[in-house]
Amino acid sequence: MKRHLLLFALALTVSFLPQYLAAADQLRAFQRGSWQTILHAHAGRPMMVNFWGVTCAPCKVELPLLGKFVRDNPGLDVVTVNADLVPNAREAVLSMLRKTGLLSTENWTFSDGFVERLRFEIDPAWQGDIPRTMLIARDGKVTTLEGIVDLAKVKKWFEAQMNETK
Amino acid sequence: MIRTATIAAITLLLQGAANAQMSHHHVSESACDTTELRCATKVTPAFAPDGRLWLAWMAGGRILVANSKDRGKTFSTPVAVVDRPLELDWGPDARPRMVIDRHNRIAIAFAIFRDKNFNGEVLYTRSVDGGHSFTKPEPITPNTESQRFAQLALDADGSVFVAWLDKRNRAQARAANRIYKGAALFFAWSKDGGGTYSEARMVRDSTCECCRISVAFAGPGRPAVLFRNIFPGSVRDHAIVTFKDQATPGEVHRVSQDGWKTEACPHQGPSLAISPKGTYHAVWFTGGEVRKGLFYARSADSGETFSEPMAIGRLDRNASRPYVVASASGTAIAWKEFDGEKTAVKLITSGDDGKTWSQPRVIAATVDASDHPLLVSDGHDLFLSWMTKADGYHITPIDGAP
Repeated sequence: MKRHLLLFALALTVSFLPQYLAAADQLRAFQRGSWQTILHAHAGRPMMVNFWGVTCAPCKVELPLLGKFVRDNPGLDVVTVNADLVPNAREAVLSMLRKTGLLSTENWTFSDGFVERLRFEIDPAWQGDIPRTMLIARDGKVTTLEGIVDLAKVKKWFEAQMNETK
Repeated sequence: MIRTATIAAITLLLQGAANAQMSHHHVSESACDTTELRCATKVTPAFAPDGRLWLAWMAGGRILVANSKDRGKTFSTPVAVVDRPLELDWGPDARPRMVIDRHNRIAIAFAIFRDKNFNGEVLYTRSVDGGHSFTKPEPITPNTESQRFAQLALDADGSVFVAWLDKRNRAQARAANRIYKGAALFFAWSKDGGGTYSEARMVRDSTCECCRISVAFAGPGRPAVLFRNIFPGSVRDHAIVTFKDQATPGEVHRVSQDGWKTEACPHQGPSLAISPKGTYHAVWFTGGEVRKGLFYARSADSGETFSEPMAIGRLDRNASRPYVVASASGTAIAWKEFDGEKTAVKLITSGDDGKTWSQPRVIAATVDASDHPLLVSDGHDLFLSWMTKADGYHITPIDGAP
């Protein structure tokens, strides 16, 4: 009986695994509480979070640069969050991430119609302007950068954080 | 061991299912996906010269129109402007625009996304039979580059003024290998109540491309347009232009020195009203080095110079979406604030043309997504027009308002 149960559970898991991985690895649903989930998951490690959107023109300039940055600097904690509330944007979001080489990064997409509450959880002063980058230090200190970021400076920030670790 | 493995497997399964469901869930600011008013994400009100209240709303991928003879208590059967779903521009600052002239002609402009890159197209339509039917929507300009954020305003002689943000110059710059930032402010006129529009003309190149613009009349034939400009060094502060006559845009003046140097889309445009005395009232949002948040300023010299900006609302409560109206009886400003659980609409009023203002008071609140709060007057009373996901549409007379 126990063996049957185990086999059943494994079969179920395997059958849902591709769907789970697709949902989890490519584009996760950013909902109430997701910000704390991200912060906890990366706690103690320097992290860059980039908020962008499919209708945002400067984001289209920045994302390919971010894609290159991620390729050139493997192992850094980089997270993207699509913060543009356009209905059914999932395909557009995935297409943009694919084009910019960011598909294997940790990617999230706003998935709650009450965007004010999502933004408030991240930063009560944030009005929704994108692109927006948050650098979260090992000690949790947040540095917010508006607009297209200078990735050379971001790299220096990561290096400084790593040096502190040593 | 077996129990642990089973629990782990089931947990993973449930997580996967939940995640997949969340990812495919229709994430919406609306309460429902059909076309009724209660399903709307954006609702635009306008009082007609005969006192009837008209609404144009976005719901279920369509633009719908209805009217009320009893100031919003009951509405006529809604009429869809187009009888098929459209790829409507869902940007935070996008909404249908509408004016009704004294012949009861209803002119509407709205934007759709014309391609998968979210380039916009401004369309216009008109009804000449009291809103029973609308003409097939036509592009506001034959140019096929991106256009968004059209704003309509009715001149004293019945002409319809339209202004919008247009990216045609970006394409030219690209072809010539030049860097081009933002969009351009364009305008046109309709002399037949919104049935046809004149050729598009440019007012200003290189404005911010992702914020609503605001129009008010300084006098007959003299629309004034308030917009987020791009000043040298990528500073996205506000500017204003007042037309000398219908064909001639005047000089562009800076409204404030906020110093918001950014390469970002603020998604939050300004609001402008001009009082019968000719005083300009401007409200806007900035994230500048000099100041951050919502601000108000007035101009007594037709928009050439503005007063020192006055802060509105609480920065720590995400004060946003300011809107101003002015009439002979006073001036009022509404905006939204969010406290972590609910969104409140706050109001301040002025009885001396914007020199001094009342303390803020809450006039409405909701616990889920909501449209921008808008103020609209029927010539006697001031109303708050506010679409909310949780509580539906409100058109509420404001007690004690000017």
